[in-house]
Amino acid sequence: MDDIEAELNIPQAQAESESSEDERIQKTLKPPGLLHVSSIKGRCRESGFHKSVRLCLKAMRDAMLHHRWQEAAQYLAAYSQSLEDSTTQKQLIVSEIIWRLGTEILYHHPNSKLEDFNALYERMKNSGVKNYAKICLEHSFHLLLNGHFHESKQQLSVAASWRYGKQSATQSLLLKLIHAYCGFLDYFIWCMKRSSVAKVAVEAEADVGNREMHTYFRQASVTLQQIISQPGVWDPFILSYIDMLEFYNDQEEALNVLQNYAYNKDYPANPNAHVYLYQFLKRHNAPNIKLIRTLKVLCSLVPSHELILEYCSLLLNSDVQEDLQEALGVAMNLLDYTSWKTNVNAWNCLMNILKLLKSKGLKHLIDKEWEERKTLWLAMHYRTCHCRKDFKENAELVKVKIKVITLLGIYNTGYSKVYLDVSMARSTQKRKRKTSTDRSDRLDL
Amino acid sequence: MDEDLTEGYSEPCGQCGNVCWGLTDAEQFFCKNCHNVIERTKDVVDSSTYSANNRISHFPSGGRKWIVCEGFQFILKHQAEALVGLGVCPEFKKKVLWNFWMRYLQKTRQAYTKNPRITNGSPGDITSDSEPESLALNESSEASDGKLSVCSGSLDAAYYSFAKESKSRHLMTMPRTLALCHLALLWMREAITLADLLRLVSKRHVPYINVHEHFPEEMKIFGKDCKFFIAESIPSYRMVHREASLLAKVMELPTFPPVSQDCLLHPALLCLRYTMDANLPDELHLLVCKVMEKTAMGNDFFLTFDPAGPKQRLPCYDLQAAALIIVTMKLLFKLDDQTECKMFSLRRWYMSVQPALESAREREEQAEARQAWKSKKPVVPNLKNKTLVLKRRRVVEQLQSNFHTLTGSTMEQQPPAPSSFLFLWGTEEGADGPSLHHKRLAFLMEKKGRARCLVNRKYWHPALRLCHPRECREHFLELESSLPRMYVWLLGLFSFLLGVSQAQLHGEVIQVERRLLRGKGMR
Repeated sequence: MDDIEAELNIPQAQAESESSEDERIQKTLKPPGLLHVSSIKGRCRESGFHKSVRLCLKAMRDAMLHHRWQEAAQYLAAYSQSLEDSTTQKQLIVSEIIWRLGTEILYHHPNSKLEDFNALYERMKNSGVKNYAKICLEHSFHLLLNGHFHESKQQLSVAASWRYGKQSATQSLLLKLIHAYCGFLDYFIWCMKRSSVAKVAVEAEADVGNREMHTYFRQASVTLQQIISQPGVWDPFILSYIDMLEFYNDQEEALNVLQNYAYNKDYPANPNAHVYLYQFLKRHNAPNIKLIRTLKVLCSLVPSHELILEYCSLLLNSDVQEDLQEALGVAMNLLDYTSWKTNVNAWNCLMNILKLLKSKGLKHLIDKEWEERKTLWLAMHYRTCHCRKDFKENAELVKVKIKVITLLGIYNTGYSKVYLDVSMARSTQKRKRKTSTDRSDRLDL
Repeated sequence: MDEDLTEGYSEPCGQCGNVCWGLTDAEQFFCKNCHNVIERTKDVVDSSTYSANNRISHFPSGGRKWIVCEGFQFILKHQAEALVGLGVCPEFKKKVLWNFWMRYLQKTRQAYTKNPRITNGSPGDITSDSEPESLALNESSEASDGKLSVCSGSLDAAYYSFAKESKSRHLMTMPRTLALCHLALLWMREAITLADLLRLVSKRHVPYINVHEHFPEEMKIFGKDCKFFIAESIPSYRMVHREASLLAKVMELPTFPPVSQDCLLHPALLCLRYTMDANLPDELHLLVCKVMEKTAMGNDFFLTFDPAGPKQRLPCYDLQAAALIIVTMKLLFKLDDQTECKMFSLRRWYMSVQPALESAREREEQAEARQAWKSKKPVVPNLKNKTLVLKRRRVVEQLQSNFHTLTGSTMEQQPPAPSSFLFLWGTEEGADGPSLHHKRLAFLMEKKGRARCLVNRKYWHPALRLCHPRECREHFLELESSLPRMYVWLLGLFSFLLGVSQAQLHGEVIQVERRLLRGKGMR
C-alpha cells in the first residue's frame, strides 16, 4: 500500500516545482547503476556508441541540474538513439529515463506545449510494457491538472482495459489505481456539471443537465464503491463519494461508508477516516456523545491533532466527571508537543479546564495530574529563557501561562520572576512617560 | 502498418467479438478494441508463408545475390571517394587502393586466383577481366544446397562468421578497411597520417559508421551481416596500426616508396605542423631538426616501410614527430617541475595553451555526447524482431523531431569542415589565444668557445632498457604518478592533438631517447 500512497502524492508533486525535481532525478538514476557509474574495467570494453550514450546522459543530467533546459532538450534528442541499443537490459532502463527526464524537461522548457507532452507520453507508453500503467497514470494526471477532464478520463479508460498476460498481473496494483481514478474523474465531471446546472435558468436545460449528472453519479459510485470496499487508504475517493451521496441526500449510506472506513479492522489505521466521520456527524448535528466517541479514537491515534481542542471543549460541556478528567489529561498531553507549546488557544483551553475543575471542587484531579508532570513542565515551559522568548512572540501567551501556573499553585518559578521584572519595567516606563507628559502639560499651562 | 502484417486473420476476438487485430511489441496479436492479447504470434504467420523450398533464390522483396567481400568492396570504394574528395590524389582510388584490394583478394584466396576458397568450397574459375567495379562471382555463388541464407542478406555470412577460419584466412573486417586505406595512403606518401585518418572517420568525413546506407538497393543487409558491416566503435590507433602491419605481411607487399625530405610525411614537416598547432615558437623547429639528425630518425632508411625486410615495422610517423618535439622540449626546458621559474616563456606558453586545451577537450566531449551512431536505415539482426526494430526506429525519429522542433535546432547538423589543425592562434576572430610563434629561444643557447650549447645542462629520463627483448609492454601507468606534472601535461596535449593514449606517446618518447642517448644515430 505504500506504493499507492506514493502514487497518490503524484498530483501534488507535479504542482510543486523545484523541491521534487532533484528527488525525481535521483529516483530515476538510482536503479540504472550501469549507466552513469561504470568501472574503469567495464569502460575498456565499452563501444563507441555506449560511450557516446554515457557521456550524453551525463551532459543531460548536468544541464538539467543547472537549469539549462534548451541544452538538455538537445541532449535528449541525441540520447533517444539509445532506444535502439541491441542490449535488452539497457533498453528497459533507457525508455524509463527518456520518459522521466523528457517530462521534466518539457515541464520546464519555455516553449513546450500540451501536444509535446501528449506525444511523448504516447511514444513512451508503447515502447516496452513495464511502465505502461505508470505512464498512463501520469499522462492522465497531467491532463487533469491542465483542466482536460474528458481527455484524462479517456486515457484512463483505455488504460483500464489493458491486458497483457503476465505484465498486467505484476502491474495489477497500478491498474487498480487507474480504475479508482476513473471513478474519481467521473466525480470531477459530475462536479463540473453540477456547477453548470446551478447557473442554468431554463428548466429544460436543467433537466438535461441533471440527467447527465445522474449518469456520471452512477458511473462514479459503481467504481468508487468497488474501490472503497477493498482495504486501503482512499481518502480523496471517500471524500468524493460522500460529497455525491450528500448531494443526493443519502445520509445513511454515507454514514455506513464512513463508519466502515474508520472502524473496519481490515483497513490500515488512518486518522483521517475519523476526521471525516467527525466532520460528517458535525454537519448533520449528531449528538455530542457520538462526536465525543469519534474524537476519542482520533485522540488515541494522534494526540496532537488540531481537532483535540474541539474535543476538549466538547468534553467540558458534558457533566460526567470522567470526561472532565479526560479533558484535563488530553489538554496537558497536547501541550507536551512542540507544535502546541506556544499556542495561546491551547493554553487558554487548559486554563478554562482548570478553572472549571476548581469551581466544581475537583482540585484533587488537578493535583493528581500535576504530580506526574511537575518536574517535566517546570523544565519545559517555565524557565527564564522561555519567558523571554514568549514575550518576543506573544505577550498574551505569557499572561495565560502565568495564570495557569497560578491556578496550579506554583508562584515561584524563573518564568514568574522574569515576568514580574518585565512588567515592573514596563509599568515604570509608563509612569515616567506619564509624568513627563504631565510635566510638559503643566509647563504648557 | 499493422494491417498488412495481421491481414488474413479474421477470427473474432474472444472478449469483444470484434475483428480488429494489431501487433504488440512482442509480435503477439491483440484486439484493438478491448486490448485482449491472444496466443497467436507473428512467427506462426511468417513460417506458414515460407515455401518448403529453401533455395537461395527466394529473396524477400527483390534483391540480388551478393557475398560479403562485395560489401567490403563497396565500403572501400566509398571511403576512397571520400578521401579523394578531401584532397587526396585521384590515383589513390583508381590505382593504388584498387590494386591493393585485388592483391589482398588474391593473397587471401578469395578471388582472382585459380582456386578460390569460398562459401561452398566448389572450385571455379574466376574471370579476371571483370570491370573494376564489380566482381563476377555469380557463377560460383550459385545454390549451395541446403544452406539457408534467410539469416543474412549476403550468401556467405554464416561462413564468414566462423572465427577460426577468419583468423587464419585474414578475412576483411571494418577496422581492416581503414588499415588498407592507411597502407594505400602511405604508399602514395599523402599527408594524411593514421591519426588524421582516424579523426576524419570520427567526425564522419570518411564513411565508416553506418556505411551500409551507401549500399545499393539490391544489396539488402540483415541478420548475420550486421556483425561484419555494423560498427559501433571507431577502432583505436593501435589496433589499426597492428592490422595494417598484418595486412602488409599477408599481402606480401614490396618495399614502399621511400619517404624522403620532400615528402609531407617526413618528420621535419610533421613536426612543423605540430609545433604550429601547439603554439610553440617557430625556432623550436630548427632544434627539433637537429635532434632528428642526432637520432638519425630523418633518413630514408629509417622512415621507409619494408614489409619483407628484417625489421618489418610499420613506422608511426605522427607519433614519432610528436615524440621528437617532446624530447626537444625536455632538452631545452628540462621539464622536471623545478626549473620552470627561470624559463619565463614556458610558463606563458602554458598559460595560453592550457585554457584552449581544456575548452577543446570539453567541446570534444560534447560532440561525442551528441554523436549519432544509429542509422536511418535500421538493419535487422534477427528477422523475428523486424517489426520491433522498425517500430523503434520510428519512435526514435519521432522523438528526435519533436525535441528538435522544441529547441528550434535542425535535425541535420553538418559537421564542421575538416582541418589539419585543431587550434587557431593569433588575433583573428574565433582564435584560441595569442600566437607565440614569433618568440625567440636564443636565450636558451649560450656560446662556449666556438660551439653553442644549451643552457640547460641536465636531462632526466625513466629507465630505457627493455625489460623483455621483444615484448616490453608500456610502463606508463605504473610510472605516471612519479613523472613530473609538466611532462605528463605535455603528453596530454600531444596525445589530444593526435587522438592517441598518453601511454602510447610516452612509449615513442622512450624510443627516441634510446636512440638519442645510446648513440644509435651517431654513426
